[in-house]
Amino acid sequence: MKEFGGILLILLGVVILGNLWFSFVEGVLAKLKGWLFPQREPKVWHTLSPEKEDQDHV
Amino acid sequence: MGLFSKLFKGPEIDMAKSDANREKMRALFNQVVENGADYQLIFGYTEDVSRFNYGFVHGSKTKIGNLIVGWKEEDPTVVVVPTVPDLSGCGDPTYYRRSEILKAYRNKYPTDAFIIYPDKKGYIGINAYDWLEDEKLYVYVSQEKELAAFTDFFMNRFATK
Repeated sequence: MKEFGGILLILLGVVILGNLWFSFVEGVLAKLKGWLFPQREPKVWHTLSPEKEDQDHV
Repeated sequence: MGLFSKLFKGPEIDMAKSDANREKMRALFNQVVENGADYQLIFGYTEDVSRFNYGFVHGSKTKIGNLIVGWKEEDPTVVVVPTVPDLSGCGDPTYYRRSEILKAYRNKYPTDAFIIYPDKKGYIGINAYDWLEDEKLYVYVSQEKELAAFTDFFMNRFATK
């Protein structure tokens, strides 16, 4: 039983470490992309007209 | 008995929420597409799957892009408007006219999707289902009839092969 618990703890550690490593690499890559390829112009975005939003809240 | 019958019935669609979202889709579409009322609408989405390998961690990431898809039979045209699951806004429309596209067909593998190649450089794959429960990822709308109508239009009037 103790061995089983130990294996579970090791697996949990591997999962946590894997997630931390993934988040770290993703963060570094995002920063690098931001520096190397800065966004030129924001994409055009149209918001839903307020009248339509109001109708939904009535 | 009530609990078990509910469990076996599976998830139920909130039609009030679905209808409200259908109206929002229409409002957004008509806001950005000229003569938007001439088009019938369905909700669709794109999937962008990319693989990653960060040393001992590797796998794949999927990006979902929500779309309002409009179509009309007269001068067969499909219009795609990017949006977000809560339908708070949308981007600019892209027009795919049957007379101008390179090819269009329905793909069955790896996913059931409507594929349109406007030219040789790129393509769009539109996935569509009659209802998707996860409203954090997809627009919550029930569209069984609309999807059947779009499939019929796409296969019989828009597809090139």
